[in-house]
Amino acid sequence: MKNTIRVERAILNITQAELAEKLDVSRQTIHAIENNIYIPSTILALKMAKLFKKPVEEIFMLERKD
Amino acid sequence: MQTRFLFPHRFKAIGLIMAIPSFIFMAFNLFADYNFPFLQYEHHGTGKIDFDRKFLFNLQSHNFTAEIVGIIVIIGLLLAAFSKEKHEDERIATLRMESILWAVYVNTLFLIFSIIFFYADVFLSILTYNICTTLILFIIRFNLVLYMDKRKLNTEPQ
Repeated sequence: MKNTIRVERAILNITQAELAEKLDVSRQTIHAIENNIYIPSTILALKMAKLFKKPVEEIFMLERKD
Repeated sequence: MQTRFLFPHRFKAIGLIMAIPSFIFMAFNLFADYNFPFLQYEHHGTGKIDFDRKFLFNLQSHNFTAEIVGIIVIIGLLLAAFSKEKHEDERIATLRMESILWAVYVNTLFLIFSIIFFYADVFLSILTYNICTTLILFIIRFNLVLYMDKRKLNTEPQ
């Protein structure tokens, strides 16, 4: 699964740390999600979508290997 | 995400304070045979029972230092292993689960290795250490992963 969090973050002009604080997770978690090391839970994905005001599918996309 | 069955964060330090000194003391107990005299038990009965002296209620004479210290080590390690992190989130829960799995795998491989290469009393003493090796392996692996995670992040831009 890939995602566009880095882009969305740039649009809102917030750092990883600021995003982490808004979502009540650690900065490591945001970093790991952005680098496709960690797949967030549905709850966290929905929270992100809500924050970026976009549908989840526009932020997280399935890849061929999924 | 709510993680169940974890102790509050402060128990991590309490656990380490309990486990480390008592672990060192256990080594003294095993290798230098050091015992606390006040934990010595002598049976003062009329008739001495000669069968099955290995069970608690049939003991004639025993020093309970090793037992008490062993329990403190295990409880301490358990607290240190299964306390919440300062900033607990869903990824830490995942890392914790992975580390438990890793610790059990490594411990099992170590056990298989010991079964093949060690015999008799050496094997028995390895089994004794095995009481707490899974927890120790887990604590080391989990904290190492968290530490490396933090260090990697500090070298990268925001």
